[in-house]
Amino acid sequence: MSLLRINGVSKTFQTAGGPVHAVRDVSLEVAQGECLAVVGESGSGKTTLANMILGILAPSAGEIVFGGTPLTDRRSPAQRRAIQLVQQNPLSALNPKRSVGGSVRLGLDVYGIGTRAERWARVEAALEEVGLPADMRRRGPAALSGGQRQRVGIARALACEPDLVVLDEPTSALDVLVQARVLRLLNDLRRKKGLTYVFITHDLAVVRNVADRVAVFKSGRLEEIGPTERIFSAPEQPYTRALIGAVPVVDDAELKLRNTLAEAP
Amino acid sequence: MSDILDIRDLTLAFKGHRGLTEVLHGISLRIAAGERVALVGESGSGKSVTARIILGLLQETGSARVAGQVAFDGRDIMAMHPRDRAALRGTEMSMIFQDPTSSLNPTFTIGRQFAEVMHRRAPRLSRTACNARATEMLEEVSIPDPARVLDAYPFQLSGGMNQRVMIAMALVNHPKLLLADEPGTALDVSVQAQTLRLMHDLVEDHGTAVLFISHNLGVVREFADRVYVIYRGRIVEEGATDAVFHAPGHAYTRALMDAVPRITGVGLPEVPEVSDAFLAPMVRHGSAS
Amino acid sequence: MIRSLRIIAANPLSLTGLILVLLVVLAAALAPWIAPFPTHNGAIVDFAYANQAPNARNWMGTDLVGRDIFSRILYAYQISLLLGVVVLAIATPIGTVVGLLAGYLGGWAEAVLMRIVDIFLSIPPLVLAIAVMGVLEPTLTNAMIAVTAMWWPWYARLVYSIARSEREEGYVLAAEVIGAPTAHITFREILPNCLPAIITKMTLDMGFVIIIASSLSFLGLGVQPPTPDLGSMVAEGARYLPDSWWLTVFPGLAILLAVFGFNLLGDGLRDVLGVDE
Ligand SMILES: Nc1ncnc2c1ncn2[C@@H]1O[C@H](COP(=O)(O)OP(=O)(O)OP(=O)(O)O)[C@@H](O)[C@H]1O
Ligand SMILES: Nc1ncnc2c1ncn2[C@@H]1O[C@H](COP(=O)(O)OP(=O)(O)OP(=O)(O)O)[C@@H](O)[C@H]1O
Ligand SMILES: [Mg+2]
Ligand SMILES: [Mg+2]
Repeated sequence: MSLLRINGVSKTFQTAGGPVHAVRDVSLEVAQGECLAVVGESGSGKTTLANMILGILAPSAGEIVFGGTPLTDRRSPAQRRAIQLVQQNPLSALNPKRSVGGSVRLGLDVYGIGTRAERWARVEAALEEVGLPADMRRRGPAALSGGQRQRVGIARALACEPDLVVLDEPTSALDVLVQARVLRLLNDLRRKKGLTYVFITHDLAVVRNVADRVAVFKSGRLEEIGPTERIFSAPEQPYTRALIGAVPVVDDAELKLRNTLAEAP
Repeated sequence: MSDILDIRDLTLAFKGHRGLTEVLHGISLRIAAGERVALVGESGSGKSVTARIILGLLQETGSARVAGQVAFDGRDIMAMHPRDRAALRGTEMSMIFQDPTSSLNPTFTIGRQFAEVMHRRAPRLSRTACNARATEMLEEVSIPDPARVLDAYPFQLSGGMNQRVMIAMALVNHPKLLLADEPGTALDVSVQAQTLRLMHDLVEDHGTAVLFISHNLGVVREFADRVYVIYRGRIVEEGATDAVFHAPGHAYTRALMDAVPRITGVGLPEVPEVSDAFLAPMVRHGSAS
Repeated sequence: MIRSLRIIAANPLSLTGLILVLLVVLAAALAPWIAPFPTHNGAIVDFAYANQAPNARNWMGTDLVGRDIFSRILYAYQISLLLGVVVLAIATPIGTVVGLLAGYLGGWAEAVLMRIVDIFLSIPPLVLAIAVMGVLEPTLTNAMIAVTAMWWPWYARLVYSIARSEREEGYVLAAEVIGAPTAHITFREILPNCLPAIITKMTLDMGFVIIIASSLSFLGLGVQPPTPDLGSMVAEGARYLPDSWWLTVFPGLAILLAVFGFNLLGDGLRDVLGVDE
């Protein structure tokens, strides 16, 4: 059964320079427990779509159905709790004037998860789950590395016990080595907790290794959607092929795959 | 030997509240004329500071302690008068930064900024000559309507366009060395790939040597002839791009290589935490370089 | 705290500021004990010693009715500091709340609130204060009201500009996704990031409030005699320049000292708290 259904959703921004159609008539479904990657060039509407799923923006048209119920502009705390976000920039995602634990605890307080006395224990458990020491909760974010901050961001989302996590370029600001560790962590957590991911990125090599299905966006439209295997072996749209062709690769097997795709009609 | 850049035993430390922090522990790096050399390593390993020493900028920073030898085109940068170092920048050596839009001046047109760069080398160049030369350069970086772009302000152009403008501006004075610090990481993958290919061809045509700084191994493989891998202020591996990518010799290089997700979908790698093997001695490939 | 003090102490200018401010505060607090003539803060006359130049008995001389100027300056500091503290204690919260709401909520709230702020800011401060004082009685309380009315918009402007940029930060988005109430986002998330700038501005402003209050009383609109006030002392004394120079010079120096101290300290705090202008 699909956990999330997006039904003919559009978003138009009214700006001084006229209307901007950021997302145009997009329909797709995300099944319980799957990882759907959303890829596309800059400005293709990925973040706008994410913000609509999260309830930060209201769609101009269409509806978003979650767990069988259409989501309205005014979401219940339970509906909010069920969908959480991990952001791109770990530097700005944590309040510099707040302890790490305070940031992670916010969701527990807002949703009333656990008793007051339990909450610090839950915060510590969430930190440990993402591979950070429990006593890090007392620290400020200033002294943490990019990778550690991103883990705190993940802990903050998971402490809310969500069903769906929207990851907006969760590793693109990180170094290769740190990225690899965070990606593994995200994969393990998904398996362990049966989470569903909407994984936004422009790195197709990452997509290939984490996603079950891929949705390709271009200028606000859904160009193509399908299982990861199929998208990488037989992309239907020239745009998808161009995206894959632009991926910088490191080994010869990858180079061969890229070249075969480039030569295909 | 016609080395355009010859760095030997370069050390750098910063003076702070708690004494000296060593950042570079004696790195040596050479670039031959017209050669494309990459410097790869993780965040904080010392890539950008190396570039800033070559440009002669850190030598003038009060808190920096720089020692070692830096020879540019046979001249000793370290011993040079700050004024002479400044004269080299933008003429004999130029620089491209990560974020194209913010490194252009938002208040001047592209044409005016071009003229300023050209006047560094030829102060008497007339306006029409400047425009003609700028147009020529913009055409070289495949900008479709150079006349319009010359009259435009940076914010009126896309990130990709600005990046091309930066490349054109960096090459307009025929520098002998181009320093490119993570060019295009602020751009989209496809735009980035395009601009890098363009830059690759262009420096080849002009015979410009490049020091290409990046933490993205895939990009390095496509761009560079030779690679230096830097880890915590030490060069750990050096060699021709092919050699390093086909037979990485140092544990750190291997870890870096393994960490890159593959589009062939072989799964996510297990990445070791910092290991003692990363501090092993430097690995050098062949003598071809 | 210890670390902050050390940073301030490391800079001779900030250290001077800190010492001056401490001196002024101590002078005000201990006035009844250290003033040579504690009774001279009121409507006392002592014509035997009227209009004396500085001497061993009256270090800064006496005024036209024979009151010790040094003692009156100490008491005047009490009034100045009280006025500064009260004005800032009212103006800062008002300005902060207005700025936070306008900066974070944006749209309609921003348009209305910032328009009001701009109207206040477009009136020259003294004119605004004089207008208020023209309607109200010239008393200490009303002087405070007048100065507060001209002061809060500056805080609104300051906090607004910070809140507006903080609104774009990821941590605000994170709190919004969680569905935290607006009060939490503004006061618990954004406000702590405005505090360093607010505290710095308050310190700098203590000096300016003292000047403005003195200017008001100089114009005869502030604190009324016989209460000692630095501004009125300068104003009265100015009529007897240059002969009875001590009537103006010492109160004038006292104003200078306080304003200088608060400004230097404020600049030092700016460095400690990492505020950039
Ligand atoms: N609040 C807004 N007002 C006006 N236009 C907007 C707004 N937010 C986004 N847009 C526009 O909508 C389009 C889609 O933006 P969006 O941020 O969703 O792209 P994206 O795919 O996430 O890009 P990136 O990869 O750069 O993050 C862009 O053209 C953008 O300029
Ligand atoms: N002006 C400075 N004062 C003190 N330390 C500095 C200064 N500039 C750089 N450093 C330190 O020098 C080290 C190397 O910095 P550098 O900017 O060269 O890293 P990098 O390899 O370019 O990393 P990145 O990929 O993040 O750009 C870092 O630990 C940094 O904190
Ligand atoms: Mg985005
Ligand atoms: Mg750098």
